[in-house]
Amino acid sequence: MNLALVAIVLAIGGGAVLAVSTRNDAASAIGIAITLVGSALLSDPLPSAAVLGVRVVAALLVATMIRSAMRTGPRQPSPAGWPSEALLATAGAVAGLGLAVGLASVAAAGGLPVGLPGVGEPSPGGAVGAGGGTVTSMALITAAGASLLALGAAPLVHGRPGPRRAIGLVLVTQAVLLLRIGIAGPAVELEEIAREGLLVVAGATGAALAIAAASSIPGRDDAEPAGT
Amino acid sequence: MTLLILAAVALGAGIATVLFGAERRRLALAIGLIGSLVVLALALVMPDTDSLIVGGVGMVSTPVVRAMAVAWSASLAVLGLLEIAVGGRPTVVGPSLIGLAVAGLALATRDPASSMAALAAGGVAGVLVPGIAGWLDAPNMPSRLPTTNRGTLAILGSGLLGLGVIAWGASAAGPLGAGGGPVAVEPGAQLSLSLALLVIVAAVAIRTGLIPLHVWAARFMEGVSPLAIPAAFAWGSAAFVLVALDWSQVALGPAAAGDAERWLIILLAMTSVVLGGLAAMVHDDVEHVLGYSILADAGVAVLAFASLDPGVVAAARNWLVASATVKTALAAWASVVRTTYGGHRLDDLGGWARHSPALGIAFAGILVAAIGLPNMALFQARTDLVSSAMPGIGPVVALVIAAMPAIYLGRIAIAGLAPVSPAVAAGMPGRPRWRGGRAAGWSGGPVTQAIRAVPGELRANRAPLMALGVVALAVMALLTATGGAGG
Repeated sequence: MNLALVAIVLAIGGGAVLAVSTRNDAASAIGIAITLVGSALLSDPLPSAAVLGVRVVAALLVATMIRSAMRTGPRQPSPAGWPSEALLATAGAVAGLGLAVGLASVAAAGGLPVGLPGVGEPSPGGAVGAGGGTVTSMALITAAGASLLALGAAPLVHGRPGPRRAIGLVLVTQAVLLLRIGIAGPAVELEEIAREGLLVVAGATGAALAIAAASSIPGRDDAEPAGT
Repeated sequence: MTLLILAAVALGAGIATVLFGAERRRLALAIGLIGSLVVLALALVMPDTDSLIVGGVGMVSTPVVRAMAVAWSASLAVLGLLEIAVGGRPTVVGPSLIGLAVAGLALATRDPASSMAALAAGGVAGVLVPGIAGWLDAPNMPSRLPTTNRGTLAILGSGLLGLGVIAWGASAAGPLGAGGGPVAVEPGAQLSLSLALLVIVAAVAIRTGLIPLHVWAARFMEGVSPLAIPAAFAWGSAAFVLVALDWSQVALGPAAAGDAERWLIILLAMTSVVLGGLAAMVHDDVEHVLGYSILADAGVAVLAFASLDPGVVAAARNWLVASATVKTALAAWASVVRTTYGGHRLDDLGGWARHSPALGIAFAGILVAAIGLPNMALFQARTDLVSSAMPGIGPVVALVIAAMPAIYLGRIAIAGLAPVSPAVAAGMPGRPRWRGGRAAGWSGGPVTQAIRAVPGELRANRAPLMALGVVALAVMALLTATGGAGG
């Protein structure tokens, strides 16, 4: 097991919990930045410097856009609180690990080499088929993706428009992108560009809608009543 | 290589148009118009077969890619001119250029995951930009923002769903196995293939706004300029359906559609065809007619998923490109009518064709292209799609479906031939006229006088010039409906 990857998965989950649960705008933006940059680094072996650069730049760009949306929008902390969100993230990660193990079992039962990337996918530097190491990396990526999906789904589909929904949109998008790699293997360079473009568009869309919603909301929804 | 240049120009011009649109309308429109003309020129010189490797993936420029690029960019150039004439916030050309760029790349690339991600990213602008503009323009209608929100979620959600099913299909333990093609038909594998097919059809249904997932689409179309509708629905949806169809055909194959799945897909598609067609027939609002007719067209295209036969997929390509061109012309007609006469309900539009013969001629062309004649590619594609899904009764059903545009567009045509209503009479003059006057405060020679008179003549003939743009789009619709997309 690659401990560095485990640490990155924990950072991704922790950042996402911070992003959806805190009342502090800056802390929320830092949380989303940790999650996205961590997701960019969640790969074994690491991709080429160019691809890594694209991933990190996209991650920071999205975090910046979300932060800018927070300046004008209402504060929208999680109504459930961070312990509940952390438990939800853990449950999602466990489900993701289960999914990865299930996929590997089905592949092994079918006589396929365990850890084989998807049909039409390139072999990432010969690491494919190397055995347990690759499977673990894929399983961890799937776990991180499922964790983000569990955390991001509720803010995305439920609740008032604003920064929280933007964070949900970004988390769900990142989750699907991670799950895509986790179950089907590494992406080719062109797909990497398209994926990061999609992430940036999701961030920009969420930020634009949050800013628009803020301009139609007379006050912050968590503002203290006058005189208290 | 030409396709890459085309995509780069379209993307750059589109993003610049969107960014400048909020503050500097004229500059944005100029960039958009010049960009769309350059893109049209590039599409015309693009070879039918061209291939190169980009980022580890082969990109092949096929006749379908070229046909779509030519038809979309030519329509876009005219829409750009109409947007200048119609006025308002620039919400048409920028998002359309972005959509055209990603659609061209998505259809050319051989990697379905890249295509799906690009389409999801590139399609959002087509909903977000006009949606927010529509919300800003109507402060008394706050519901337009949630509608835009739902629309962007639908575009992104359908793309993410598509990415998910493509990833599942490509996984070692997925329905495709690891052999590079569909697995042998056994109960477990068959179930996986069928589920994958249903999920990709669900993604298509969300993206195209098929009934019963049409609520956001219908409300969205009410709140934006009709000129913005083709990019969001007709062309954007066409590219999405084409990518989904190509993936389904290659990765899943015809075996994925068992009897139950086939009937489920037919039910979904025919619900949109029938209810969309009926809604278009009963609505008096021409913009609603436009919206529901686009949904009905998308329903016809979805029938291709019921068989995934190669011949039917080729028919779907023809159908999608031709119907998108026809609906672009109809959207332009609706926008020009609204600008010229200020109304969009049939009650207010009595005698519109008498008042503006050019608009009437254009509408006649749109009507013929929408229905199709037996030797037209559009007519044949519709018949093939319906017949493949419903062998035996298919040709009859196809004729009934062909009659629907005859009814809902026929109602509009009949209104146009009625006596001129007061609202139409009060609108801008629909016939060309020569003012013949000297430009005020100018005393130069005759050539200079003529040059100085041009802006005034353009303003005086704004409505006939806009109608001329619709005529151009109607001609394009007829050509595409006749020739198809080379599918």
